[in-house]
Amino acid sequence: MSTVLFSLLLGSPFAGSLLCALFHKRRALEIITAASSGLTFLSAFWLVSVVMAASPLITPNGWWYADGLSAYIIIIVSGSAFVVALYSIGYLRRQIGSGKVDDRHLWLYYLLLNIFIFTMMLVLLSNNLGFLWIGSEASTLATAFLVAFYERESSIEAAWKYVIICSVGIALALFGIILTYFSALHVVPATDNALNWSSLMQVAKNLDPAVLKLAFIFVLVGFGTKAGLAPMHTWKPDAYGEAPAPISALMAAGLVNVALYSLMRFYILVNTAVGGAFVSTLFIIFGLVSMAVAVPFILLQRDFKRLLAYSSVEHVGIIVFALGIGTPLAYFGALLHLLNNAIAKMLLFLTAGNIRMAYGSKFMRKATGAIKVIPVSATFLIVGVFAITGWPPFGVFVSEFTIISAGFASGNSIPAILCISIITTIFVGFIYYTSRMVLGVPNRPVTGGEANTASLLLLGVLLAALLLLGVFIPSPLQKCIDNAVIVLKG
Amino acid sequence: MGAISLQTIGLLIDIFAAAILVTAFLIVSSRSLVFYIRLFALQSFLLGVVAFLVVLGYGETHILIAAFLTIALKAIAIPMVLTRVIERIQVRKEIDFSVNIAASLLLCGGMVVLSESVAQSILSGQQTDSSAVSRVLSVSIAMMLIGLFIMMTRKKALTQIVGLLTMENGVFLSGLSITYGMPLIVEVGIFFDILIAVLILGVFVFRINKTFETISIDSLRSLRH
Amino acid sequence: MSEFFGVILISLFQLLLVLATGPLVNGIIKKTKARFQRRRGASVLQPYFDLAKLFRKEVVVPFVASWLFRITPYLVFASTLVIALLVPTVATPVPLHWMGDIITVIYLFALGRFFVALVGLDTGGAFGGLGSSREMSIASIIEPAMMLAIFTVAVTAGSTNLSVIVGRLTSSPASMLNPAHLLAFSGLFIVTLAETGRVPVDNPATHLELTMIHEAMILEYSGRYLALIEWASQMKLIVFLALLSNMFFPLYMATTWSPWALLIGSAAFFGKIIVLAVVVAVVESTNAKLRLFRVPELLMVAFILSLLALILYFIIGA
Repeated sequence: MSTVLFSLLLGSPFAGSLLCALFHKRRALEIITAASSGLTFLSAFWLVSVVMAASPLITPNGWWYADGLSAYIIIIVSGSAFVVALYSIGYLRRQIGSGKVDDRHLWLYYLLLNIFIFTMMLVLLSNNLGFLWIGSEASTLATAFLVAFYERESSIEAAWKYVIICSVGIALALFGIILTYFSALHVVPATDNALNWSSLMQVAKNLDPAVLKLAFIFVLVGFGTKAGLAPMHTWKPDAYGEAPAPISALMAAGLVNVALYSLMRFYILVNTAVGGAFVSTLFIIFGLVSMAVAVPFILLQRDFKRLLAYSSVEHVGIIVFALGIGTPLAYFGALLHLLNNAIAKMLLFLTAGNIRMAYGSKFMRKATGAIKVIPVSATFLIVGVFAITGWPPFGVFVSEFTIISAGFASGNSIPAILCISIITTIFVGFIYYTSRMVLGVPNRPVTGGEANTASLLLLGVLLAALLLLGVFIPSPLQKCIDNAVIVLKG
Repeated sequence: MGAISLQTIGLLIDIFAAAILVTAFLIVSSRSLVFYIRLFALQSFLLGVVAFLVVLGYGETHILIAAFLTIALKAIAIPMVLTRVIERIQVRKEIDFSVNIAASLLLCGGMVVLSESVAQSILSGQQTDSSAVSRVLSVSIAMMLIGLFIMMTRKKALTQIVGLLTMENGVFLSGLSITYGMPLIVEVGIFFDILIAVLILGVFVFRINKTFETISIDSLRSLRH
Repeated sequence: MSEFFGVILISLFQLLLVLATGPLVNGIIKKTKARFQRRRGASVLQPYFDLAKLFRKEVVVPFVASWLFRITPYLVFASTLVIALLVPTVATPVPLHWMGDIITVIYLFALGRFFVALVGLDTGGAFGGLGSSREMSIASIIEPAMMLAIFTVAVTAGSTNLSVIVGRLTSSPASMLNPAHLLAFSGLFIVTLAETGRVPVDNPATHLELTMIHEAMILEYSGRYLALIEWASQMKLIVFLALLSNMFFPLYMATTWSPWALLIGSAAFFGKIIVLAVVVAVVESTNAKLRLFRVPELLMVAFILSLLALILYFIIGA
């Protein structure tokens, strides 16, 4: 059964890519993409139910692996992919209508979107560290042309920086992986398994701590670059700002979590092997730095999508900070925040796409008075901003509150206080810019209109989910996160 | 393999590793894009030879394919692609620096010393045989650092690609030196990724050239904050 | 008593060898370069005729020149002769090896260079000053590079005495292929090109370039003074080629002073320096002279090669 499950999860996006390569009709591309990502999402639910019953799951050849942690993140990523695939349909139709995108680009978009989803699944399901690396690099490459999609000067610049910076980071991570392999070679009986999580975790206590510490630093820099931890975050505002809105959404809600997942895997391994404060201290420092770095850029921002990118840097910081605190409560908060942040980011990026389409500009000072022009999207936007900045009654509030109280409870009071003050400052900046955008009078004739009903409905679902998570946590989700926390504890 | 002793193989690996390090330094000291690419091809060829020597000396046959791939892809295919890119876009072939050559060379020399100490700390705790290959670790770390340095201080888009590839070569050499290479399937996947990355970056160089009419990354300055 | 005569005899042989082969090797380089340019070129013996002619010519001394001008040619020639006594050529150990080690050799070269540079300034000509300042600024980079390259070898052998270094290597030929050795060799090769004023650093074949270095300093010399300086620089080339070949590849060197060993040693020595001379000629023919501002970069490469050699010695060990 595990084989069927893994082939469904990996196979549906892969088949989607193949089919997209074959067909060029718009209708066909839309159906293929929606169907393949929908199927992935459904299989993810199946995976969760299987993993909850008998964790973990390994294929007989030992290549693929899933446990509570990966199942939880697969749910988030495949769900984001499904939402983005659905939203893309309406978004691209409008873009074709306005002549911004031609047929060839449409085809390229859907093809690369499917490959992108496939590479993320590759990372999340591989048992082998090498495959994990290959998938990570492939996800960068799959998104390269998507970032450069509009072929403007700025988007090519963004894509160049994105590929170069992420490739350098990931090359360093490969060295970290080689070091891990090196430390395992003397310990793991069968050499071919020395790169597998399942066998590494069994011998974690016997691995050489000195080598693993060094390996962890390289891996942290490498996957930290992909996740957008400061100071390796510089590609993020460029890439998020220039990519089409749905792609930015999937990068912020999917790719970031995939990179964080890779970090968590190493976190578990090195924590078990080395113990003590080494990993925790690194994570707390990187987390706080990422949050702090985001502050000035959020206060001085002109471009809404770049604002969101810095917000993403901040939230990755919060999650890494929570992992650094390292108590079960903090783990719970971090994992919950992963989900909340993903939903809120998607909501905001997709709404930003609507506004962009209506105003034809990404600069916030040109897009004023949105509430009068596109009332529904504008409402989503302002509510979404309240949600992402951590206001009750939204999910982000709950997870941030959990993390900070875990920080106080574990004796990390000063970092926790820093964390609160940063979150508050960012809130001020966010509200200032959004209220200027949403309220007031339109300062120019607006050409585009509101997005179609289906897209708005999709955004409504996201918002409802955020509200729901702010009020209570459904018991299946609770159980799912608890399972993942067990994995994180090592 | 009775004819060639392990000691001879070790000596040859030492020599080729030193030669690889020299190519990295020559890249740093070079001013012409064409030299950059030729030196990179030479470096990859030498790397392939080292991989062959590891196969000969330590009987790790799975590296044979990696050795072939290194020579076929990194020493032949990728340099050809990059040369084509240069010919097609007809750039000025002189490279601009933000750190001059003399200072760059000195800094890179310092990096070799640094990487030696890092390599020592990696190897110290291990019960390894101090085989020739593990001695090469410091060379591989130095190459990663030099590659990174090239990317940071040389301003042409193509030089950034060569810097990245030098880094990748360093990573490959490190794998060769301490673990006798990664498992084959992983190695093949990595090569595939690198090839795709170079192709994509090559396409971007064309596009940068088309839209900015230069391939100096100094012009990539519009996105700030 | 007979031992004393032996020392004298062998030292004289060594001196004569360097004195005699200097012009010949220069002739070989010129001939090779001519062939590269598809000329027949002058006979390889031409430098001998040139020297003979110069000795017969009268000496013209600028009226502003001081005593430095007259003393320098002898000083340069003499210091080169002393070096010739210290550097093993066909056989090792050199009888007078206790007189000084490799550092003495470097300083004797520096002494000659210092006086030539002074003379360039002494006559007050525009070219002389240019040449001197260029020579000294280049020297400030060459010398550290040379020191490093030589120290690598010295560290390997555990001694700065040239004869000991060579002896150590002849007893364990495998260490000749040590990467540290090879790097130091390439570093010292570039140093040789720079020290002996070869393309791409300087052009020995012309007095007409504004960028000339060595020729600019000795522009005022004529007659036997010029002959002495030219001869000294030809011997300097031999010494460097001998250092390159014997410090790194002391194959077939004579280890006793028996006639048969000396014969083999001489043959090997000539073979090695002729190969090196041809390599120098090929480098000169296939490279353009560097712009003066680029010269430090080349020398920096030599410096770094030597530095790498030293680092690698500690990494890989001998």
